[in-house]
Amino acid sequence: MIRVLGHGLLGLVREGRTLLLLTVVGVSLGVGSVVAIQTLNQGALQAFGGSVRAVSGQADLTVLGTVPTIDPALLPRVLADPAVRDAWPLCRLDAALADGSGDLIQIVGFDVFAPVRYPLTRQLDETGSAADPGDLVAAAMAVPGWCAVTPHLAASHGWAVGDTVPVSSGSRLARLVIGALVDFQRYEPLAPVNIAVMDVAQAQALLARPDAIHQIDIVLAGDEDPGTAAARLQRNLGPGVRVLTPEQRAEDAAGLLAAFRLNLTALSLISVFVGLFLVLASVQASLVRRRREFGVLRVLGMQPRQVLVLILAEAGVLGLLGVAIGIPTGFRIALWNVETVSATLTSIYVLEEISRLVLTPTVIIIGTAVGLGGALCGAVLPALDMSRRGVVELLSPLTMHEGARRTAVPLALLAVAAMTAGLLWFVAAGGGNRYAGFILGFVMLIGLPLLVPGVIRAAGAPLRPRGLGWVLSLRNLTIRLRTSSFAVAALAVTISMMVGITLLVGSFRQTLVTWLDVTIRADVYVSTESWIRAGNEAFLDAELLTALGGRPDVQAVETQRRLRVSTADGRHRVWLSGIAFSAVPGVTLASRLPLYAGDPEAVAGRLLASEAVVIGEPLARKAGLGPGDDLVLAGPDGPVSLPIAGVAFDYTSEAGTAFTTLETFGRHFRSDQPNNAALFLQPGADPDAVVAELQRTHRGRPLVFRSNATLRREVLAIFDQTFAVTRTLQTMALFIAACGLALAQLIQVRERAGELALFRALGATRAQISRMFLGEGLAMAGLGLALGLGGGAGLAALLILVINREWFGWTIRPDVPLGALALEVAVILGAALAAGIYPAWKSGLSSPAQLSRDDL
Amino acid sequence: MNGPFPSLVLDRVGMVFPAASGSARTVLDGVDLSLHAGQCLALVGRSGSGKTTLLHLAAGIAVPTSGRVLIDGEDLGGMTENARTRLRRDRIGIVFQFFHLLPHLNVAENVALPGWIDGRPGGGLEKRVGELLDRVGLADRSRDPVGRLSGGEMQRVALCRALLNKPSLLLADEPTGSLDDRTGQVILDLLLEMAEAERCALLLVTHSLTVAARAERIFELHDGRLRQDPGVPS
Repeated sequence: MIRVLGHGLLGLVREGRTLLLLTVVGVSLGVGSVVAIQTLNQGALQAFGGSVRAVSGQADLTVLGTVPTIDPALLPRVLADPAVRDAWPLCRLDAALADGSGDLIQIVGFDVFAPVRYPLTRQLDETGSAADPGDLVAAAMAVPGWCAVTPHLAASHGWAVGDTVPVSSGSRLARLVIGALVDFQRYEPLAPVNIAVMDVAQAQALLARPDAIHQIDIVLAGDEDPGTAAARLQRNLGPGVRVLTPEQRAEDAAGLLAAFRLNLTALSLISVFVGLFLVLASVQASLVRRRREFGVLRVLGMQPRQVLVLILAEAGVLGLLGVAIGIPTGFRIALWNVETVSATLTSIYVLEEISRLVLTPTVIIIGTAVGLGGALCGAVLPALDMSRRGVVELLSPLTMHEGARRTAVPLALLAVAAMTAGLLWFVAAGGGNRYAGFILGFVMLIGLPLLVPGVIRAAGAPLRPRGLGWVLSLRNLTIRLRTSSFAVAALAVTISMMVGITLLVGSFRQTLVTWLDVTIRADVYVSTESWIRAGNEAFLDAELLTALGGRPDVQAVETQRRLRVSTADGRHRVWLSGIAFSAVPGVTLASRLPLYAGDPEAVAGRLLASEAVVIGEPLARKAGLGPGDDLVLAGPDGPVSLPIAGVAFDYTSEAGTAFTTLETFGRHFRSDQPNNAALFLQPGADPDAVVAELQRTHRGRPLVFRSNATLRREVLAIFDQTFAVTRTLQTMALFIAACGLALAQLIQVRERAGELALFRALGATRAQISRMFLGEGLAMAGLGLALGLGGGAGLAALLILVINREWFGWTIRPDVPLGALALEVAVILGAALAAGIYPAWKSGLSSPAQLSRDDL
Repeated sequence: MNGPFPSLVLDRVGMVFPAASGSARTVLDGVDLSLHAGQCLALVGRSGSGKTTLLHLAAGIAVPTSGRVLIDGEDLGGMTENARTRLRRDRIGIVFQFFHLLPHLNVAENVALPGWIDGRPGGGLEKRVGELLDRVGLADRSRDPVGRLSGGEMQRVALCRALLNKPSLLLADEPTGSLDDRTGQVILDLLLEMAEAERCALLLVTHSLTVAARAERIFELHDGRLRQDPGVPS
């Protein structure tokens, strides 16, 4: 058996290098897409975990506020707990480098006398020119702005020890002094690189408030169970804080990213699904090539079971080859995409950026399982089929296709039945199941390939060719149904995915544009360089606001304070905004409320007159809230209950948003200092000219002025960036499908050697044969396109109306982006044409002298 | 074409194949042959004697390593492969021992295949297909799949296909080799009759001297050389 297997594999290498290459490429791309996405997913979580470990590595518990800052009076109460051996405060904030780069760094103010040596501070004891670590500690406290940064961060900005670095938090400017270079990653490999560590008192004084504490880390005494201690501390400290273990914090991040990760994983699995067709086609090709060999082996006494094992073993070797190439390829793809995914994490989810990707054993195991499992799954049907065939059938190539023709209609009926059943189940029972949309999508994606043989047959069989044109090409597909079905099915699934996502993205973008039209109404927006990440505490100072309001070209100023809070039950994170609405002539508040539920006039009236709140649609869906309910938030002094006046469309965060008046906000969340401002200009004032003038006036200050148009452009740029990784997956899937087309046609060149030789004998030129093959490639692409467009429309409906609402909570108005779709169709046809060039050329090489007695 | 030139001329044709051992194997050595329209010539020889090679040269599928092959006076040696292919399409018909019909096309479509390759318009092509099938007695089977035909019927379809483009040279490679004697006889009659009716030259390759006896001239291929009129059974 081993010898026969070895002979078969050697034969594949010798005689079917291109087939082998295409199959392995297909499998490896499938594996690669899964590895890439899993690596990025894990990277996102590890980045957060790395940050937690770097800062709080030896802490058993961490106390975080329900609002960003913690009452400093809580520290003595923490220390008074008998289970707490020690506790120390941290001041954490994000600051922007005021060097024009726009880069942000994480400032960690820590207690240099903290009784632990966790990764962040460990090296401080070993670093610097000072022989005595005590000198370093003294410098950290005595030198104004002293901080330690990573060598990577210093190198990327050209900093050296002793340099002064201007940074900003909100509209405040401060100067940091590079006191030491500390390789935090030496102790915590996943520690963020953009971190700067300084004395807590210095951080408070320079960039926050003198008593601002954002976190208290705790080390427990003895064998106290962290869970028990956390529960007791939570009771003692009250509802204004949350006491968490490091694991709980990591779980928080995992929960935040759940939908993002799940969607990317689902998309990457489609590539695997498409790759599976390649294995099917490849095994089919191998069987075509070796059918006589199997026939002879069967005559010589080989058992059907042995044939089965032989074929599966061959597929397994192909799968392993795909895994061997796919895992490093996937990791490389992850590295290429890390910047865009990282940018999405920071701009949309406000999490750590991914500073380092690691290929973990878990990802390697997943990749291997996907590649090997996919190859075996792809091979099992043809292997079973081949092992059950009689010797006579094995010696006749067309009987296999005749079998495929016979099963075409039953398979199509089965597909229709499965899809109908799936749809009925979804309508009847899918409502309460979050995964129902994915299950229905899976059923549709399984059903689509099953439809393919029937569709090809229906399209080609009634046609009567009158020449070597497209009718004959289409007809030829029905003759070699088994081979053509695989390629068309792979393409149809890929196009479904591509078109589905294009429709989703196009609809989403159009919805976003419409939403921006309603909500972005001011002429100029003012924020700070550190606002993107440090929105909680990047404040605008009062003098600036006064100056802006006093400008003659400014009609009205609206200010906004934004804070990340949680619902009182801890289940939902909410970006809560307090807005100081201004009366702007011609622009009523009601007209600016993009309401999903509620009457605009009534909602605006309640918002201004009472302590009401308007919540975003994602929060309404996820928390099951609506007008008439109360939004109960965890406030610094306990639960804050705000009646919900209305639900607004909102696309700023899938986590949840809510807004109320700045007055109400300040009453419950202590601070009403705004983070940003919106200027409504006098009629006739030119926003771009005002922005230019403001930039001139405030040169050197960490302020960002944007016109309405600029802000829209930036919002849409972030949107496009979010889907960049999706486009990579689409491209990979298309590449796999193109490999499938090329593979199918190469198989046909092999299968139809006799037919092609006959054509040549009858006077067909090489060019005619090549054109016929290109025509068949385009016919396959056309059928795949037709099915894929249908499947894509269904998938888009599912993504837009079901999965998106269920997982992200957004209402997206379906829209058909004709330009993007036309481009996609052109790319698909181009890819199909490109995939067909080599097989077409190869087909033209056939010689009439190759005609033998049993070729046809 | 029935012009002043012979349909087929082999002029001192030689064919040498490189052998695996590195030495050369001479298959044809100075073969001379001339065949005019309306003539029938039989070529006999043992297996491996070079009959198929000679047929390939006559069909323009291969070019000789020495000498010339002329079809209707045109030297194939100076032609590109495409030009030889077009010439084969327009002036040469081939009947194979194993029929080589495409199983997924019906009778009429198989016959029409050279016309499709030629890009001929549908109306005239259909008329010609119908006329040929009528002459071989298969007009009522034109829509049948070829898989339903008997061996003799398949060879009749193959004959129609070979004659579709009104070739000046008809090459028949063991046309009765896959048929029983009686059917073979019928096909042979039909082949000779239609070749004559279409005024084309017929080169009949066979290993059967009985079949060869129906030709006007018989050549035997032996050691790469042609020998005329070997012993013919009565």
